Amino acid sequence: MDYDPMIMDDAEALGPVVKISQADSVRVKWELSNTDISFANSLRRVMLAEIPTIAIDLVEIEENSSVLADEFIAHRLGLIPLNAEGIDSLLYSRDCDCDGCCEHCSVRLILHAKCTGDENMHVFARDLVPTGDRINQVLGTPIINDSEGLGPLILKLRPGQEIKLECIAKKGIAKEHAKWAPSAAIGFEYDPHNKLHHLDLWYESDPKAEWPPSEYAAWEEPPQEGEPFDYDAVPNRFYFNVETAGPLPPDVIISEGIKVLQQKLAGLIHELADEGGDGGVNGDGYNGGGPRSPEYGAGAGMDGFNGGYTTPFGGAAAGNQSAWGGAGGATAYGTTPYGAGSSWS
Amino acid sequence: MAKPKVKKDESATAAEPASDVVMDEAPTSHQPENDDNMSVDPNENGEEGEEGDEIEDEEEEEEEVQRVRLLPGSTPTAASFEFLNEGHTLGNALRPDVEFCAYAIPHPSENKMNVRIQTFEGTTAIEALQKGLRDLQELCDVVTDKFIDARERFVAASAS
Ligand SMILES: [Zn+2]
Repeated sequence: MDYDPMIMDDAEALGPVVKISQADSVRVKWELSNTDISFANSLRRVMLAEIPTIAIDLVEIEENSSVLADEFIAHRLGLIPLNAEGIDSLLYSRDCDCDGCCEHCSVRLILHAKCTGDENMHVFARDLVPTGDRINQVLGTPIINDSEGLGPLILKLRPGQEIKLECIAKKGIAKEHAKWAPSAAIGFEYDPHNKLHHLDLWYESDPKAEWPPSEYAAWEEPPQEGEPFDYDAVPNRFYFNVETAGPLPPDVIISEGIKVLQQKLAGLIHELADEGGDGGVNGDGYNGGGPRSPEYGAGAGMDGFNGGYTTPFGGAAAGNQSAWGGAGGATAYGTTPYGAGSSWS
Repeated sequence: MAKPKVKKDESATAAEPASDVVMDEAPTSHQPENDDNMSVDPNENGEEGEEGDEIEDEEEEEEEVQRVRLLPGSTPTAASFEFLNEGHTLGNALRPDVEFCAYAIPHPSENKMNVRIQTFEGTTAIEALQKGLRDLQELCDVVTDKFIDARERFVAASAS
């Protein structure tokens, strides 16, 4: 990609900068700069492992005369990417009031195929048919991106063999099982010239010849000959390559990732704010006693904060943008409750 | 070769279903139940009647699980906090502006993360922690806005 001179102007401004260099329905290549590596890494971790999606979790096999064992097929089914659009409205089945699973916390899919011809038959993800009520008409539908419209191959049947089963797909995150990962891969890279010496590149005789330059090497100034090592330098530009496995579009993976971080933080802030009320927090009682210790900011501050806290959770599927509000101090979190900080000190 | 297999399986499936675990009775997810950071709370609107009571019970149980705990030996300006169900994602990103701050995950098989904060004169460790969390939240807001902005510009640029 061409180097955009615009970025120089942006980079001089305070605060983080985002630049997208390539984007399509499968991947977004983007650069995050003017933040610290810890935030960039947290975002990477959250996009990999904590964005909720939907995947087949239970399989009831009625008939399986194929050569593959039941559990082998069940495992393959679990790994088939399912559309996660509207997943926010689906409950985790552990949070649902139902007994086991229902349309509020799961999607049912049926697979029934029998080889009646005299050639081997291929069974694909397109043969998985969602049934029953669903939150919307796409949630839980297998993702099919190939030009023939087949989807991933599940198994093959010889003449006379049959497979008949019912699957229950549930909401989950990749921290529990990788089948819930929204992304196929997330590229994460910084300091393409290794100026910071975070890498100790192994080599036979010449590291320059043996390690091909990164595609981002042209974006950053190469080290000068004999340049002294800068001990104070910290990484500042982070190059992400977010590639989806299908459940969510790549740009949604990024915004959902930030949303998950937001929810993590909001939950903790909420709990810390509540903590003044119960005595179990500490051993030495410096904030114990009383229904709500004054140092937690009684009254307006609390209510104001709670107002902000509910927004990201209550926000409609339409999006993150509206729920999070504008930039900087104008956010739902930043405006009233702790703008000046006086209510907290 | 396939024939005998088909027969065997048919007889097996015919005899077995009764002893199989029905799908609805299968155990639910192994994810910790109190890991509620991103779950949609179905109990937001309390209801009346028997169902309402049940919901209230659940809520009480949830509240008993305290996700942040102040560890013994803490003083107002130098405190250790224990976070349940948090890890490097939060621990490393949390950078409050204090005299000293560090995090540790004492044991990999325990889902716990400890943060030690020592503040300068004038603020307490809890305030510093809260400010650290809120600053991180604001950073998230800003990055979201910047990303949405960049996406719009990218779409506009590739359309023209
Ligand atoms: Zn349910």
